[in-house]
Amino acid sequence: MPVFKAPFSGYSVRFSPFHEGRLLVATSQNFGILGNGRVHVLDLLPSPAAPGAPAIAEVAAFDTADGVYDCCWSESHDSLAVSGVADGSLKLWDVSLPSSANPVRSFREHSREAHAVDWNPVRRDSFLSASWDDSLKLWTLDRPASLRTFREHSYCVYAVSWSPRHGDVFASASGDRTARLWDVREPTSTLVLPAHEHEILSCDWNKYDECCLATASVDKLIRVWDIRSPRAPLANLAGHGYAVRRIRFSPHRESILLSCSYDMTVCMWDYRSEDALIARYDHHTEFAVGIDMSVLVEGLIASTGWDELVYVWQHGTDPRAMP
Amino acid sequence: MSYKFISQAVCFFAGLPPKPWERAGNSSGPTPFKPPSSGSTSDVVEASGTAKPGEAVPTTNVTANSNTLARPVPPRPWQSYGTSYGGYGSNMYNSSYGSGTYGSYGGGLGGSYGGGLGGSYGSGLYGNSMYSGYGGGMYGSSGMYGGGMYNSGLGGPMGGYGMGMGGPYGNQDPNNPYGQPSSPPSFWMSFLRVMHGVVNFFGRISILIDQNTQAFHLFMTALLQLFDRSGMLYGELARFVLRLLGIRTKPRKQQQPGPGVPGELPAPSGQHVLEGPKAAGGWDSVWGDGAKGSN
Repeated sequence: MPVFKAPFSGYSVRFSPFHEGRLLVATSQNFGILGNGRVHVLDLLPSPAAPGAPAIAEVAAFDTADGVYDCCWSESHDSLAVSGVADGSLKLWDVSLPSSANPVRSFREHSREAHAVDWNPVRRDSFLSASWDDSLKLWTLDRPASLRTFREHSYCVYAVSWSPRHGDVFASASGDRTARLWDVREPTSTLVLPAHEHEILSCDWNKYDECCLATASVDKLIRVWDIRSPRAPLANLAGHGYAVRRIRFSPHRESILLSCSYDMTVCMWDYRSEDALIARYDHHTEFAVGIDMSVLVEGLIASTGWDELVYVWQHGTDPRAMP
Repeated sequence: MSYKFISQAVCFFAGLPPKPWERAGNSSGPTPFKPPSSGSTSDVVEASGTAKPGEAVPTTNVTANSNTLARPVPPRPWQSYGTSYGGYGSNMYNSSYGSGTYGSYGGGLGGSYGGGLGGSYGSGLYGNSMYSGYGGGMYGSSGMYGGGMYNSGLGGPMGGYGMGMGGPYGNQDPNNPYGQPSSPPSFWMSFLRVMHGVVNFFGRISILIDQNTQAFHLFMTALLQLFDRSGMLYGELARFVLRLLGIRTKPRKQQQPGPGVPGELPAPSGQHVLEGPKAAGGWDSVWGDGAKGSN
């Protein structure tokens, strides 16, 4: 399946919600510790011209002066994307414009690294950013400044995820070992979920169940919660050897979720079944930190990691197998 | 792209395929959320009275919040706690890992890796990684990236050299808003850097010496073994040649010349005399087993 070699360490990968086979990849130099960053826009080629020819073409690449930790596509316009940069700024890119015209906007309010961004998939006119300054900020494109700041976490906020079914609700995951639920209309968080004994690195909503949230932590566990009964998780998914870096619920199957970890594997889980671990992909040779599942093509998975490679493959096939 | 255009783009929803889950109903029944408001996000937030445009977040975090859990938090990822541990042994990434951006968590974990001369992956990097967690040992324990895998042995014994050098670079993080612009390195920094180079250099020298010594030792051992094996043969050959030249060596156990008396005490041992041709015995006693010499 297609593989793309980036010059820097991969940090995040996202499928476009508009175009099949279009990808956004956030990368950072020197493992994101020091140096520049780059955002790649990639297209999967439907059929390679010749055997062995690359099956991925780079459509555009945008450079930043600092590492890029996360990125996401706009849900409102097919050429817009936003990225969170290590200097705390959020950059808005327009793929249809040349590199010289990009970024089209740069939002600078976070005082620390911006570690996650997520675009509202319901209302589609706003996005959230999570930062190491312990805060989350809500942004819309029609305002030059953030609309609102959410400050309750007592430690770095590592992830943020809009509810896919409710345009006012989102969840955040933080190093203070809590996940919090928020309603943009409420002054404070609506639920504090002390979900893990260690830092929580990622969270995501079940696309088919409005009350189902999953969290992933440094304690190597993935937990699935029903937020109406937050005392105990619905499921504990153990199997990763190190901290779980990112999780993503399947857009097509209710109980399927994908995770990637510092044990360099990408795993697929069915949290409802007895044998929860469905598949384990060990194609990365460094930390696997970015994953996504295509909304438009069922079973199409993308992953990236510190080995500077972006893999795109169909679930059930070998990511390393060349077409 | 102008502001106005972006605002128009916001309203451009056509072309976005419906999400798979939008076609399915919600399976979880009643939810604890307030029903969604209609209108744009800006309007909704402003109507709720919670909007605070452009609120600045102070860099020093003092979170006075009632529902914060009273649990200790680990040091921040960018804080430079790693002054004395986490050997940043390798040259290649020395400055960047030492920067302290992520040098904080791993604590002693990195130190146990033994990077040293092992090149790029030595210590520190994974031991101190961004998320290594305050749990300790979370990443540090396995040794996956330790000496073995990338250092192929050489890095192991020498690993200690690189350690403790992370400290002086602690404040060079260009992202650090407290310290901008970064000042030139102080005397101690330069000194330690020089010392690091010196130690590194001698580490390399010592490896060279070590390897050469071992090679020489192996060579000598082989040589000695060869001599040991062939020792008997060479001894016999030497004696034969000497004899052909007319020089006689008296075998050690040869008895005294002259009429032998049975039961006579043998000559004192260790007598080994070179002498000219003799009348008595002659060639008969050459092979010196005493059988003929006693005639």
